[in-house]
Amino acid sequence: MRPTERFKRRYISFSLSLSGKPPAYSEAKEMVHSHFLSFFGESGVSSLAFKLVKYDAQSGRGILRCERSRTDEAILCMACLSEWKGASCRLEPLSTSGTIKRL
Amino acid sequence: MDIVRFEPSANEGAGRALPVSSVANFFEAATALAAKQFCRKRSALLHPAGYEVDEGDLLELARAGGAIVFSFSDVLSERGFRRSILISKMRLLLSACRKRGTGFVFVTLAKSANEFRSARELSAFAFVLGATDVERKEAEKKLRNLVEK
Repeated sequence: MRPTERFKRRYISFSLSLSGKPPAYSEAKEMVHSHFLSFFGESGVSSLAFKLVKYDAQSGRGILRCERSRTDEAILCMACLSEWKGASCRLEPLSTSGTIKRL
Repeated sequence: MDIVRFEPSANEGAGRALPVSSVANFFEAATALAAKQFCRKRSALLHPAGYEVDEGDLLELARAGGAIVFSFSDVLSERGFRRSILISKMRLLLSACRKRGTGFVFVTLAKSANEFRSARELSAFAFVLGATDVERKEAEKKLRNLVEK
């Protein structure tokens, strides 16, 4: 596939906290994946080109990927996460870029 | 700028937010019927709880220089199907506001610091409801002007 035919991507860096602390990688992955799936549905996630690119359990910071024209929807989805298994949590978008390097 | 339901402090990153109690022209309406009486007030910031306002009332609100308030905490407090219905109602009301020339603003109306959201997140909220870039900027200006009155 030619580069022009691929999804145009945007990378969003985020900060994740669960009850004030950064969760472990497996829990963070499950949290982010299930929240995006519940917000967008299976069809929505596939057209969003969503991927959890990186997550550092020490700092609670990570990077996720989405389709360029749907960055705002992805950011709203992140903002809508406020509770996970009865505990308060926050998925805060920090910055957006077209390359991972510039985040 | 934002309007919240708690007493904000700069430590929580909510230094530029105003509590609802300090905004004199902020009105909440539980029903479309209740919203009718607030639409005639000058420069009113009207928050309809069910996001259902008659088009005639929107016209009156536009004439009085007021605006409809879209609150992010309403979305945050709902889950699943009910959340999708609420977003749908907000989209319809925003398009009715555009049609009637009524102003609209986007705020968090956060009940605690945990519900507080950044300007970027509010902008994304406005985008998902169907506001254009120009309308988002206009909404920010409108909020600043109405809060100062």
